[in-house]
Amino acid sequence: MLALLFLLFGGLAIGCAVSMVVQRNPLYSAISLIGVFISLASLYVMLAAPFIAAVQIIVYAGAIMVLVVFVIMLLNVEEEERRRTRLRYLVPTAMALAAILIAEAAFIFYFVGAQRSPQDPSTSDVGLTSSIGTGLFTKYLLPFEITSILLLMAIVGAMTLARRAAIVGPLARVIPGAQSLPRHRVDGEATSDATQIRTTSTAEASRLLQVDESRRSVEKE
Amino acid sequence: MDWNNPFIHVGMMLLAITIAFTVVMMIVAYTVLAERRVLAFIQGRLGPNRVGYGGMLQPLADLLKFIFKEDIVPDKSTRFVYFLAPIVATVAALMTIIVYPFGPDVYVPFLGTIKLVITRLDVGLLYVLGITSVGVYGIALAGWSSNNKYSLMGGLRASSQLISYELSLGLSLIGVILMSGTLDLYSIVEQQSSWYGFKWNIIPQFIGFVVYLISAIAETNRVPFDLPEAETELVAGFHTEYSAMKFALFFMAEYVNMFTVSMLATTLFLGGWNGPFVEQVPWLGPIYFLGKVIFFLFLYIWLRGTLPRFRFDQLMNFGWKFLLPLAILNIILTATLMFFDVPLFRFR
Repeated sequence: MLALLFLLFGGLAIGCAVSMVVQRNPLYSAISLIGVFISLASLYVMLAAPFIAAVQIIVYAGAIMVLVVFVIMLLNVEEEERRRTRLRYLVPTAMALAAILIAEAAFIFYFVGAQRSPQDPSTSDVGLTSSIGTGLFTKYLLPFEITSILLLMAIVGAMTLARRAAIVGPLARVIPGAQSLPRHRVDGEATSDATQIRTTSTAEASRLLQVDESRRSVEKE
Repeated sequence: MDWNNPFIHVGMMLLAITIAFTVVMMIVAYTVLAERRVLAFIQGRLGPNRVGYGGMLQPLADLLKFIFKEDIVPDKSTRFVYFLAPIVATVAALMTIIVYPFGPDVYVPFLGTIKLVITRLDVGLLYVLGITSVGVYGIALAGWSSNNKYSLMGGLRASSQLISYELSLGLSLIGVILMSGTLDLYSIVEQQSSWYGFKWNIIPQFIGFVVYLISAIAETNRVPFDLPEAETELVAGFHTEYSAMKFALFFMAEYVNMFTVSMLATTLFLGGWNGPFVEQVPWLGPIYFLGKVIFFLFLYIWLRGTLPRFRFDQLMNFGWKFLLPLAILNIILTATLMFFDVPLFRFR
């Protein structure tokens, strides 16, 4: 029963991985990658590590791939053309790496696997939530804290990069007269606030939008 | 009966899943009817009352109509993804049902004492959150594959909204996890038994409950957060191009999602199947459980009849600048109170 399930999900993982590399449409590749993650999670469940399986689904399939799919949808990426000429040298490299990988797998299968008696996964408590929690907050506390600081730095970095430096481009001009502007056009930090701000004159609008007043007057002449 | 025999085990599992599936589908069908009737009463109309006594057979008529309608596939759609999307949405919605405990140990003739839960997972809560997060793909892919600008806008809105509110949804549950010390839903329900309801998590975790309830409404795309299918702007949003049974699958997924988030709220905050006299008469457990879930479903319909829709920037600001900090505040508060061993916040 377990062997059958292993073959099913293992085969699914390999099939999805191959499909991810072969597909030319980026969205199909992304869907294949989600398939790989879900079949890997199923394999983790069979290895008696339900916590790792759940985290795999939540983090990879549920968060990271959603962002990837979102970006592909937002940019509406076209199918990529095959560029065989530029990537020709990669084919022998890939074949060599694949040969090494298969040799490693065979080595583990024949030599390491033969020496150890296989442990029954149902008796192990490595993958249980409580043992992972205990390990994280006792033995591996320092790496855990360092990782959290790294993530915090990544968040701060992303926010700094995402903040818009200039509100309008250098060629922008102000429509003459009084008008009402949505706040996200005026304030660089308000990304999606559509509250209307009323201006009484052209000068006020150009001051709010930081458009160079002198250039406008030059163009008038 | 020999429970260790793998064939009997798998057979009983399949039987339990079939029963749960049937019950959920019945409840979903009648939630749709209840929604139409209750909304009609709120708006001073009568609603569908022609098929069967008081409209009781209306869901059957709707189903027949969906099956016999012409199934139109847009010419320039991405066919594979277009067919995949409703399947993903429905499967992801239905998969979480198996972990909810809907009753205590009960005695069944010929079978002996059985637990009224299909499977007890060590990571039940994480499983629910994980499967819920996969459900986003159904909507996002539907929007993309239809090759229609309204569908695409609906899909994009849905994905950004779901990503945003998933965070506060997950964080609002941390307080409960902190207090119970387990992710197993069955144990969380058992910890809330006795003391006449004073051990229900809603009392110490009231902030968490409110944040969860609001995020859950946003997660299921319901009014007032139904921007992905705002009909005044986007025709029907991500399912504009879907017709017949494929549309019915999306419709079903939405109501199954409503049902499962209500079950999670009941399990985590309202004591699951706990209630008066449940120790003496265990069969009261499923009745209490369903009663609480139906209360939440009614709340959904009530809100739909009452509130207008948000604007999209209001939705994002509310999620990120109000709900998320509130959820984090709740975690800090719970942890602090537990550290000082305040009576209600004692570790269970």
